[in-house]
Amino acid sequence: MADTLLVSTRKGLFILKRKKDSWQIAQRAFLGDNIALCLVDPRDGNWYAVLDLGHFGNKLQRSIDRGATWSECTVPAYADGDEVTTGDGKPPRTAALRLIWALEAGASDQPGRLWAGTIPGGLFRSDDYGARWQQVRSLWDVPERREWAGGGYDQPGIHSICIDPRDAARVCIAISTGGVWRSDDDGASWKQTAQGMRAAYMPEDRKLDPNIQDVHRLVQCCDEPDVFWAQHHNGVFRSIAAGGDWKEITNVQPSVFGFAVAVHPQDGDTAWFVPAIKDERRIPVDGQVVVARTRDGGESFTVLRDGLPQRDAYDLVLRHALAIDASGQRLAFGSTTGGFWTTHDQGDHWQMLDARLPPVYAVTFAGMD
Amino acid sequence: MGYARMARVVLASALARWLPASVGMLARDVALDVPGAHLGEVLEGVFERFPNLRGYVLDEHGAVRHHVALFVDGTAITDKRNPNQTLGERAEVYVMQALSGG
Repeated sequence: MADTLLVSTRKGLFILKRKKDSWQIAQRAFLGDNIALCLVDPRDGNWYAVLDLGHFGNKLQRSIDRGATWSECTVPAYADGDEVTTGDGKPPRTAALRLIWALEAGASDQPGRLWAGTIPGGLFRSDDYGARWQQVRSLWDVPERREWAGGGYDQPGIHSICIDPRDAARVCIAISTGGVWRSDDDGASWKQTAQGMRAAYMPEDRKLDPNIQDVHRLVQCCDEPDVFWAQHHNGVFRSIAAGGDWKEITNVQPSVFGFAVAVHPQDGDTAWFVPAIKDERRIPVDGQVVVARTRDGGESFTVLRDGLPQRDAYDLVLRHALAIDASGQRLAFGSTTGGFWTTHDQGDHWQMLDARLPPVYAVTFAGMD
Repeated sequence: MGYARMARVVLASALARWLPASVGMLARDVALDVPGAHLGEVLEGVFERFPNLRGYVLDEHGAVRHHVALFVDGTAITDKRNPNQTLGERAEVYVMQALSGG
């Protein structure tokens, strides 16, 4: 089980270690800087951190010594002439990198391959550990891209990239808002696969339009890669067809709204959510932080509360802020008000970190020391 | 014989901390003399010396970042898309972060 956690926050990267039976902050990096997310590369153990410097743009840093030292990589760049046109009536704007919103490693036989999803909607690929990036033009050039729109931000963004463990040429991404897109040929061509998703808040004739679906987070089961889960603006959806033919799951308690989802790496029927009051409020239901877990593919859910605050808690958990380790036993999540909780038994019991963190944006397990 | 016009470039500490460790770790303003008669030339000279700095000051299209302010002899430049105005003798170019919250 993983004994290191990388917690990306509004004011720095916090490296947690598990000692005896509890987690403690062991290291800090980039204190004061806005860290959007981290990647732990399973191929070589290298760490990557996305810095979203308010004044100076997005930066990418890599550590090859588990956080002792860092060096700067390059970041994806949009080409002259690239324009963001959205489906919500905003005027077109020059495309420039706003945020690296997803960062994933390629397969073990693709050393140096990284995928980056960005706001305003471009997907990028590097084959040299982030020294150079190429935009995946085949996706940028799909006509439907001009109908994507901003979800949490003004412009559309790719926040989830799933690389099929059986075949790394099969890549599935999710966009807020732009549905789910799949490539079976290493990014040469793409097709929309959000059919089955539903957006109740849209005008009647657009509710089922796959290209407007606001997926908040998409995850794939490692050992059952045909199984995907999505936390969507409208609720929870599950696919057992490789990221297509989605089925809505309506019985998540206490609410179907949220941002984060985690799937058990070995069992596609088991998944976790952190529900909130939907949409215009975005706070926990009844001021109680809970996690909803299913072990039967969404037929039923258990609401987990043990160790989580049950009174006057207004913690929201963002899309990258819930993580599960490779064993499927340990999970961790952090909130926009700096709360942080861990479990070693799939959520039956939770422990709160004894710290008041800055707002948490992303949580990543980093294996063993 | 002509002579190269020089500008004095001051990088505010918030920017200087991202320079290579030997320069930036002092966490204070960094000043350097850079040849050039136009702002664009001077900036290129700075980026030649510190290649990673380009992406901190300019976006990928060559425009000065929205939250970066460039002052030439005490006056903020207004054409951030095309930062290439003519500089006077011994101009001072001040590169700083625009003030913002949080």
